[in-house]
Amino acid sequence: MRTMASYAARTRRFSRAEYERLIDLDVFQPGEAIELIGGELMVAEPQSAAHYTAIQKAAKALEAAFGPGWEVRTQGPIGLDEDSEPDPDVAVVPGAPEDYSHEHPSRPVLTVEVAESSLAVDRHHKSSLYARAGLPDYWILNLVDRVLEVYGEPAPDPSAPFGWRYARSEVFDASACVTPLAAPGSSLPVSQLLP
Amino acid sequence: MKQAERPVLHRWSRREYERLIDESFLDEDDPIELLDGLLLVKEPQTSPHRTAVLLVAKAVERAFGEGWFVQTQSPIILDDRSEPEPDVCVVRGSPRDYVDAHPTRPALVVEVAQTGVRLARGRKAAAYARARIPDYWIVNLVDRVLEVHREPARPGPARRHWGYAAIETLGAEATITPLAAPAEGIRVAELLP
Repeated sequence: MRTMASYAARTRRFSRAEYERLIDLDVFQPGEAIELIGGELMVAEPQSAAHYTAIQKAAKALEAAFGPGWEVRTQGPIGLDEDSEPDPDVAVVPGAPEDYSHEHPSRPVLTVEVAESSLAVDRHHKSSLYARAGLPDYWILNLVDRVLEVYGEPAPDPSAPFGWRYARSEVFDASACVTPLAAPGSSLPVSQLLP
Repeated sequence: MKQAERPVLHRWSRREYERLIDESFLDEDDPIELLDGLLLVKEPQTSPHRTAVLLVAKAVERAFGEGWFVQTQSPIILDDRSEPEPDVCVVRGSPRDYVDAHPTRPALVVEVAQTGVRLARGRKAAAYARARIPDYWIVNLVDRVLEVHREPARPGPARRHWGYAAIETLGAEATITPLAAPAEGIRVAELLP
């Protein structure tokens, strides 16, 4: 049988406005961890103990590094663009919690994903999405290799899933220290982030 | 730990899908069907596609006769997360038997496929097989053949997903007899636009 033109099954996309209405209407089962990524509804894998611990440790360390005037959010929604509302594991945004009581923050100065089973997705899809939104500082706390991957300098790349990628990437092991772009006076030992 | 290579899509339940319709995210004219939890965008209706749907509907109506009815591009319910709208299906009884709920177990399902041949053979065949639809036909407009899928089979050493164990490809000159209407043969040529 000859090969034929075929199309990958396309699914219905949702805008962020639609997604927020779905949430207001309680359409989803409670407790299901859903994110809107480029118009598609994605589900997060259940968290391991190490994953959860890493989030807590990273949040604590970043709170100390950034100090007052910054809000460190864990797995909270970010109103990233017209068709994306991800819940990064940790995000640092300016201000205080009440600043976001009507609208989710949209531009974290630092975005962190803790990666265990999601490493490939965090490197490939999420990084392209965050680069497209111009997020300046993206970290992947890689629990598989016990390193911190730091990404910066968003640049167009037509071959990336969302047309952008980070031009700069660095890898720090547990013995290194790292400085968030938006907290230049700080220095965080990577060991403080790892579970 | 197992690595996910790509993001995992949310699978919609039928209950969620029905909320989408109630809340006007989707309406009856949207070319969307729920298959295995995915809101699939349906194949565009080209003229040959539409023609084939009408030809198939007419041929199977004649073959099945009294005691059956034929519905085209209308929903059926397979399971908690599948509510597809096959191009043609044959259901026992009369339309009034299904005033309160969509049909669940057609005797024959037919999909007409032009750009969607892979989808028809893949995800759709898997969903129909899992629902134990005994007779599933694909009118393949690319090769101008009828692909007849029978004997639903569960995943096992021979197959990763649900599928059909007996698949036959028939050319225009062949004759096909529906499993549930064994007295009536249909010439494949009658089904092709």
